[in-house]
Amino acid sequence: MSTTSARASRPTSFAAWYSAASDWARTDGLTWIYLFKALAACFLALGIAMKLDLPQPRTAMTTVFIVMQPQSGMVFAKSFYRICGTLVGLVVMLALIGLFAQQPELFIATTAIWVGICTAGAARNRNFRSYGFVLAGYTAALIGIPASQHPDGAFLAALTRVAEVVLGIVCAGAVSGLVFPQFAGLQMRGAVRARFSAFVDYVSASLAGRNDRAQIEATNARFVADIVGFEAARSVAVFEGPDSRMRGGRLARLNSEFMTASTRFHALHQLMNRLREAGTHGAAIAIDALEPYFREIAPLLAKSGEPVLSAADAAHAAAQLDAYKAELPRRVRATRAALEVHPDAPLLDFDTGAELLYRFIDDLHAYAATYASLAVDTHERERWVERYEPKTNAIAAGVAGLRAALVMMVLGAFWIATAWPSGSTLTLNAAAVCALASSSPDPKRTVFQMAGGTLAASAMGLLAVYGVFPRIDGFPLLCATLAPFLLLGVFMTTRPALAGYGVGYCIFFCFLAGPDNVVHYDPSSFINDAMALVLSMLVSSVAFAVLLPPSTPWLRNRLLADLRRQVVLASRAHLARVRSRFESGARDLMFQIDALAQDDPAARRDTLRWLFSVLEVGNAVIDLRREVATLPAEARYANTMAWRVSLRAMCDALSALFERPRAERLDRALAATVDAISAVQSLLVAFAPPREERHQLQRVLSQLHFIRTALLDPQSPLAPLTAARADASEGVAHAA
Amino acid sequence: MPRDIAVFDAYVPTIVLLFVVGAALTWVLDRVIAYTGVYRVVWHPSLFRASLLVCVCGLLGLAVYR
Repeated sequence: MSTTSARASRPTSFAAWYSAASDWARTDGLTWIYLFKALAACFLALGIAMKLDLPQPRTAMTTVFIVMQPQSGMVFAKSFYRICGTLVGLVVMLALIGLFAQQPELFIATTAIWVGICTAGAARNRNFRSYGFVLAGYTAALIGIPASQHPDGAFLAALTRVAEVVLGIVCAGAVSGLVFPQFAGLQMRGAVRARFSAFVDYVSASLAGRNDRAQIEATNARFVADIVGFEAARSVAVFEGPDSRMRGGRLARLNSEFMTASTRFHALHQLMNRLREAGTHGAAIAIDALEPYFREIAPLLAKSGEPVLSAADAAHAAAQLDAYKAELPRRVRATRAALEVHPDAPLLDFDTGAELLYRFIDDLHAYAATYASLAVDTHERERWVERYEPKTNAIAAGVAGLRAALVMMVLGAFWIATAWPSGSTLTLNAAAVCALASSSPDPKRTVFQMAGGTLAASAMGLLAVYGVFPRIDGFPLLCATLAPFLLLGVFMTTRPALAGYGVGYCIFFCFLAGPDNVVHYDPSSFINDAMALVLSMLVSSVAFAVLLPPSTPWLRNRLLADLRRQVVLASRAHLARVRSRFESGARDLMFQIDALAQDDPAARRDTLRWLFSVLEVGNAVIDLRREVATLPAEARYANTMAWRVSLRAMCDALSALFERPRAERLDRALAATVDAISAVQSLLVAFAPPREERHQLQRVLSQLHFIRTALLDPQSPLAPLTAARADASEGVAHAA
Repeated sequence: MPRDIAVFDAYVPTIVLLFVVGAALTWVLDRVIAYTGVYRVVWHPSLFRASLLVCVCGLLGLAVYR
C-alpha cells in the first residue's frame, strides 16, 4: 500500500514536496518561528540585563514571556499598556511606601485596595486597555512589596525594577517587530474579505429562502463574535505602524456599518417572515409586490457574476448599489400605485417593507463604499467620529475588584501572622494572578492550570538551578541549557488547551530559576518561594470559585438585563452617536453572555433571540427619532402636539417593557404603539403636507408599524408573555 | 555639549534626553514617510523604522560624544 503510493507520488515529487513544505510553513512553521522568537527575545533581554549589571535579570526575562504574543501588533499594544501601567504603579507605590513604610497592616491594606481598584478597572475595560489596569495594579505590588522590606533603598529598588521591566518590553517588541513579523493588519484584510463574502452569501441565501431559523441564528452568532474580534484586532493593529493607523478610522467605520447593515437586513427578513406566517390574502399581495426586488439584490453584490474579492471589486459593487438606490424610490412608487387599485391591499405592510429595503440598500452601499476606500492610503471616509463602545457590567467589575482585594488582604494577614519569609512572594503573586485571570472567561480553571504549570516549573527549576547551573560557565552555555526548559513552556502556550499551563510555567520558571549575575544557591528559599507561588494560585482559584464566580446565572441575568436596557438607551440617549453606541453595546453584551454560557445552548439561543428583538425595536426607535428630529419647525410638528405626545408615550412604554418584561407592560406598549399609529394616520389625513414631509410622516408610520409587528411576533422572546397571560385568563375563566 | 544635565537638580545623562527627542523626531519622520507612501517600496518597514530610530539617535549622540 505504502509502496504504491510512494511510486505514484514520485513523478510529482518536487511539486508535492513544495506544497507540503509551504503547508508546513503556513501552520506548524509559524509556531516554530514564534518559539524561536520568544527564546531570542528572552536571551537578548537576559544578556543585556546581565551586561548592565541589573540586580534581577530574571525580571526582564519574566516580562518578555508576559508580553510575548505570536502577533507583532499584540506585543506592541501589550507593551505600550504595560509601560503605562508600570509607571502608574511605580508612582502609586512610592507614595504608599512613603506613607506606610512603618505600618505593615496599613501598607498591605492600602495595597490591597489599590489592586482591587485596578482589577475592577480592568474588568470594566476591554482588550489591552484592560491590561494596562491589570499592570498598574500588579506592578505596584511587584515593585512595592519587596521594596517595603527595605524602605531605605525603596526608591532605587523600584527604579531598577522599572528599568528591568522596560528592558524586557523593548527586547520583546524589537524581536517581534523585526524578525519575521506577523501583522494583524494583513490578517484583517483577509477578515474583511471573508466577512463581506459571508454576508453576501447569507443575504442571497436568506432572500432565496434557503436559510432556516437555526442556520440564521448560527450565522448571526458568528457575525457577533466576528464583530467583537474585529474591533479587538483593529485596536491592536493601530500599534503596528502608520499603514494601519491611517486606515484605523475606516476599519472602525466598516465594522459599524456592517452592524447596521446586518441589523437592517435581519429586520427586513423578519418582516417578510411575519408576512408569510400571517398567511392572509393581503399579506400575500404585499409579498408578491416586494419579492421581485429581493431577487435583484444578490447580483448587485457581485462583479460580472464573480464574488467580491478585493477593494477594487467592492468599488464596482458600491457603484452598482448606488445606481440601484437612485432608481429604487421611483420604482417603488410605481409598484405602490399599482397596489392602490386593489381594494384590500395592505399598504402599511408594503410601505414598511419598501422602507426597510431602501434603508438596507443604503446601508449596504455605505458598507461597500467603505470597503472600497480601503484600497488607498488616505480617504475622506477616514473621518469617522463614532466609536465602538464596549459594555461591561459595573457590578461584575466591582465584584472582581473586591475579590482581588480580599484575597490580598487574607494572604497579607497570613504573612503578618506567620512572618513566613516567602510571604511577600505569596502576597504579590496573588495580586498578579487575580488580575491576570479575571479577564479570562473561566478564571477558576485558568488559575488552576497556572498552578499546575507552576508546579512543573518548580520541579524543572530545581533541576536547572541545582543540577545544571553549577556545571556550566559562560552566557552561551547558559542560553543553550535554558533553551530546552523554556521551549517546553513556550510550546505549551501555543496550544489553546495547554495555554494556562504554559503561561504559568514560563513566567514562574523565569521567576524561580532565572539566573542572576552571581547565582545564590539557597534551596530552602527556592522551595519556600515555589510553595508560596502554588499556594497563592490555589487561594486565588478558590476565591474565583467561591466569591461570586463569573459563570453564575446571576451574572448572566444581569448582562441580559443590560442587553434589554439598550432599548432605553436607544430611546433616550443623545441622537448624535446613538446608533453606533446602541449597535456595538448590544453586540458586546451578547458576546459576553455567549462566553459565559459556552456549554448551555438553550441559554445562548435565548440570548440571541433577545438580541434580535432589542436590535429590531431599538433601531426602529432610533430611525423614528431621526425622522421626527428632521421635520421642519412648524406648529403642527411641535413638541406639544398630540401625535408627538403619543410617540413619546410609546417610547416610554417600550423602555418600560424592555426594562422589565411583563405581560401588562407588553399590553401597554402595544396599546401605545397602536395609539401612535392612529395619531400619525390622523395627522396625515387632517391636512395635506408637502410631498417631502408626507414621505417623512409615512416613514414614521412604517417604523411604528414595524415596532408593532416586532412586538406581536410569535418567535420573539416577548411571545411567552402573551402565552402566560392567555393561560392566566383561562385559569380565571375556569375558576369562574 | 555637557555630558550631564541637571533636571530638577538630578543629573541626567544628556544622551537620555537626546534619545527621547530622537524618538519623537523619528515618530514625526515616520508619519511623513507613511503619508508620502515611501513605505510601499520598502521591503521591511519595521526594520526600516528601527534603523531610522538608530540613525537619528546616533546622529544626535554625535553632538555629545565626538
